[in-house]
Amino acid sequence: MLRALLEADLTVQLRNGRALALTFLLPLVLLYGLSAGKRRAQLGGPIVDVALALTLGIASIAILGYTASVARDRELGVFQRLRVTPAPTWTIMISRLAVQIVSMLVMSVVVLVAAAVVENVTLDPAAYLLTLLAVIFSSAVFLGVGQALVGLIKSPDAVNAVGRLSYLPLFALGLFAHSTIFGTTFETIARWSPGGSVATLLAGAMQPAAWSADTWWALLASVLYAVVFAGIGIRWFQWSTR
Amino acid sequence: MTGSGQSAEHGLALQVDGLRVSYGRKRAVDGVSLDINKSEIFGLLGPNGAGKTSTLSAIEGLVKPDSGSIRIGDVDARANPATAKARMGVQLQSTSFQSNLTIREIVRLYAGLYGVPLTRARIDDLLADVHLAEEASKRFSQLSGGQQKRVSLLIATIHSPPLVLLDEPTAGLDPQARRQLWDRIDRLRDIGRSILLTTHSMEEAQAVCHRVAIIDRGKLLTVDTPAGLIEKHKDDPRVRKVAHGQVTLEDVFIGLTGSDLRD
Repeated sequence: MLRALLEADLTVQLRNGRALALTFLLPLVLLYGLSAGKRRAQLGGPIVDVALALTLGIASIAILGYTASVARDRELGVFQRLRVTPAPTWTIMISRLAVQIVSMLVMSVVVLVAAAVVENVTLDPAAYLLTLLAVIFSSAVFLGVGQALVGLIKSPDAVNAVGRLSYLPLFALGLFAHSTIFGTTFETIARWSPGGSVATLLAGAMQPAAWSADTWWALLASVLYAVVFAGIGIRWFQWSTR
Repeated sequence: MTGSGQSAEHGLALQVDGLRVSYGRKRAVDGVSLDINKSEIFGLLGPNGAGKTSTLSAIEGLVKPDSGSIRIGDVDARANPATAKARMGVQLQSTSFQSNLTIREIVRLYAGLYGVPLTRARIDDLLADVHLAEEASKRFSQLSGGQQKRVSLLIATIHSPPLVLLDEPTAGLDPQARRQLWDRIDRLRDIGRSILLTTHSMEEAQAVCHRVAIIDRGKLLTVDTPAGLIEKHKDDPRVRKVAHGQVTLEDVFIGLTGSDLRD
């Protein structure tokens, strides 16, 4: 059953041009923009640039792509149709989430390759592996946020609108997690935002030798965000809008 | 009022007993009991909001009943929902499938969910059987209403379930498409399937159903063959009041459920 669902969800994902564009284009544009920017050093340097690009990719897939597809399919009755089959309900959602995580990993590989070309950021094999593990871990934060959005809001249009609005504080704040450009208070807030925690975690994973107490705190914050948002999303999620 | 079959103590495809379903404080289904025999087409008639879809949803496992029992053959559906779901095929009132999948891929997905391995050639054969061979590569949203209903019915029966639940299967179809669908429902009955369908159409109930139950405000009001219902209620003053000449099934329906408009 799970295999049939995975095949179908993967096919849907591959045919969704907008989702694919979001998956690859946005983080690459950000990476290029940061590398070309005059104030790049103030944002944290090349490793942080790559971490921010990865964070943007993960956030985009989860908060814009995942939530939109779940809200739309729920409105159309796709989930109700699946629920009258013998497939356990958890397989329906796990399949969706697994496909999102695969998309994030593919996006991460593309960004890391681009980082090597654009930013000359190359990592040890162990650091690449750790970074991909951190990507999977980070996906839990933003997929949890996405799940909370579709759990609390029924209308696809409202999910879309709130997703776009929350995207800014959730991700954009993270841009300044390693910068005192707006002062230390702002930096502290940015560092503990979901985007900031994930960016710090990813930057730490890319430099295992420099793994610090800050990285451990970012990991802990990410766990808390994932648990809280996923908990809200699971508690209030409804399979039907009717 | 119960919908027990007169003749079949054994070999029931579906047994529902004392079913109650509520949405918050609103009681949608209030003590419905009905039995469906093997190879029987059973129609559930009722005005909007009468409890037809809620009854079906409880049988399908989409809503949790407050109380009552549901047995699909010898399987307790509330205790073993997955086993029960494997033994029934469902066509929902308004249904849709993943928008980016083709009809062929949708059939493949649902066959997989029911554990029925199908080759591409077999899928194409099945689609040809419902006159959808040329639509195999189209998306569900690109099909006409009649074609969509045929896809839904094909998927509902892809695993050859002994019980098929159809929620307003011909709603919105033109007469030709409706007749075609009735033929398909008849063919399912001919190969031993039992069918529970909901409908607003008296014509449909008379044309395809062996027995019909009228439900209103969550309660079953009466159950019999279409002809039996007319015979049973033809002298009811409520029915006589709305009849114009010879009593019809529609007169019985309106007489028992009232003439008020429902939302």
